[in-house]
Amino acid sequence: MSITIQNLNKQFGNFTALNNINLEVESGELVALLGPSGCGKTTLLRIIGGLEVQNSGNILFHGQNIAHRNARERSVGFVFQHYALFRHMTLFENVAFGLRVKPKKERHNETEIKRRVHELLQLVQLDWLADRYPAQLSGGQRQRVALARALAVEPQILLLDEPFGALDTKVRKELRRWLRRLHDELHVTSVFVTHDQEEALEVADRIVVMNKGEIEQVGSPDEVYANPGSPFVYEFIGNVNLFHSRTHALWTQQHGDAIAYVRPHDIEISSDPHPSSLTAIVKQIRAIGPTVRLETATLPDGEIVEIELSRERFNATPVSVGDKVFIHPRHIRLFEEKKKNPEFSANEHHS
Amino acid sequence: MRNTSRLQPSHIKIATCEPRIVARILIAIALSYLALFLGLPLFAVFYEALGKGWELYLEALRDPDAGSAIELTLIAAAIAVPANLIFGVAAAWAIAKFEFRGKNLLITLIDLPFAVSPVVSGMIYVLLFGAQGWLGPWLQEHDIKLIFAVPGIVLVTIFVTFPFIARELIPLMQAQGKDEEEAAVSLGASGWQTFWRITLPNIKWGLLYGVILCNARAMGEFGAVSVVSGHIRGMTNTVPLHVEILYNEYNFVAAFSVASLLALLALITLLAKSIVEYRVRKDSQTIPHGETE
Repeated sequence: MSITIQNLNKQFGNFTALNNINLEVESGELVALLGPSGCGKTTLLRIIGGLEVQNSGNILFHGQNIAHRNARERSVGFVFQHYALFRHMTLFENVAFGLRVKPKKERHNETEIKRRVHELLQLVQLDWLADRYPAQLSGGQRQRVALARALAVEPQILLLDEPFGALDTKVRKELRRWLRRLHDELHVTSVFVTHDQEEALEVADRIVVMNKGEIEQVGSPDEVYANPGSPFVYEFIGNVNLFHSRTHALWTQQHGDAIAYVRPHDIEISSDPHPSSLTAIVKQIRAIGPTVRLETATLPDGEIVEIELSRERFNATPVSVGDKVFIHPRHIRLFEEKKKNPEFSANEHHS
Repeated sequence: MRNTSRLQPSHIKIATCEPRIVARILIAIALSYLALFLGLPLFAVFYEALGKGWELYLEALRDPDAGSAIELTLIAAAIAVPANLIFGVAAAWAIAKFEFRGKNLLITLIDLPFAVSPVVSGMIYVLLFGAQGWLGPWLQEHDIKLIFAVPGIVLVTIFVTFPFIARELIPLMQAQGKDEEEAAVSLGASGWQTFWRITLPNIKWGLLYGVILCNARAMGEFGAVSVVSGHIRGMTNTVPLHVEILYNEYNFVAAFSVASLLALLALITLLAKSIVEYRVRKDSQTIPHGETE
């Protein structure tokens, strides 16, 4: 089922949580709402789920306005950051809950409920723990139960609020791969909220980057990473070096007050000067796995520039701390200073 | 290894650990204080009550006036406790799960009966509903008798025991948050289903704890009830008031016999309270707090 969001606004007192949000989620898509805390992503998710009410604007499920439908009637599965499992019920009863509270007419008989609950617990690979209580499970297991519980009512839409936020890194990685596989099997339209760019890049079909209650950019992980639409997206996703036109006119060329954004892996170093290169001193070298990170300071003003090289590259032209090197960008992107929209978005330079 | 093994535990001085003698003295002081001010009076009650034999003890309890006092106390508690149960759950639910204007005012109002002396609460009711009170003439016109009658006793009992259940539940429900209720609703549960299947099971031990305390106070209340009751024997006397009357008549055996009932109630309350406290602790340990694996 597709989701259409039109001109959505939400205020908490004087605070604008969502400012004129427009968004389209295709049927069967897995979309990530990505942004820093307080950007409104969770509020947007809760409004879609009917747990919060917007001040204005519409939400359409499959083209139908659902304003009059409360959370109960939206057939939306909701997964909470802190699992929200019913602590006084066994896993079996947790998953069965949605089936048991159905109106008498629609309710399945006990055998059917049993069959479906066990099927779902098998899907999340926890059938053997059906008689345990949530407190006896690990965080990762709890979140899988929460997902099974949400799927029990066969929701048209699955909403996940920071589903892996409370888990440690290793479990998190496992679970998000597992979520991706699960989504590929079930194809239920899913929206999940995260502040972790890696998670969004790895799991989602499309990423919605949000900031201060507004959508900054919508696109595939590759688009958002390789072609950020705004300075915010540039800075939020991946590392980036900033060069002001005042101090580095050479790179920003003649565009007045502009800022050049350059990814650390888009910077070359060499021992010979290049027409557009800057001079810098190597301050620190850190080799992490296959990449080598250099921290350099430009001359004469001492601005810190981060550079990322592959190990082979680094070994081909080794430098050591204190060396003077020449750096120049392979790829830069200009944004006009203090304005949100890129004025010179076409100005991409490859040298 | 050899170096550390030579260090005997007794050589290690732990900053937060007092010498044993100090600990013993402190414990002794605490215990003798308890014995003097709590244990001895409790013992005295039963000693006085049973001092002249079981015959007199049972006779005092079989007295019709004592019977009617017991009955009235049970009636007052039987109305006040359920009334405050319903109110307490509703108030705690509203305060813990919703944001609204005047929330702090409501919390303050709930505490009011704790802050006001019970005698004053009784006086307020006399002032409002008594013959010379604000609503007195209207009540008389309609032939409703509150003060110096059973309804007045029930009303002040409700007033005095008002905060017990709500106060117990508010922090508990606030700590539990509303995630589980939201999950239930998104799974298709109605408001009632959510309340009966999710909220109530989560607060049951806290609720029981509040009910026990509320009940103890409802049965034991003296000051406020004394003001509105009028002390009519066999009519508007509760157990505590009956004890006072017997005592003032120098009928010590009977007074202490009836008082022993209240003391017994206290002991049962304490026992029930510790059982429930144990369960509450056990339950609160299982509240998931988003821990990692």
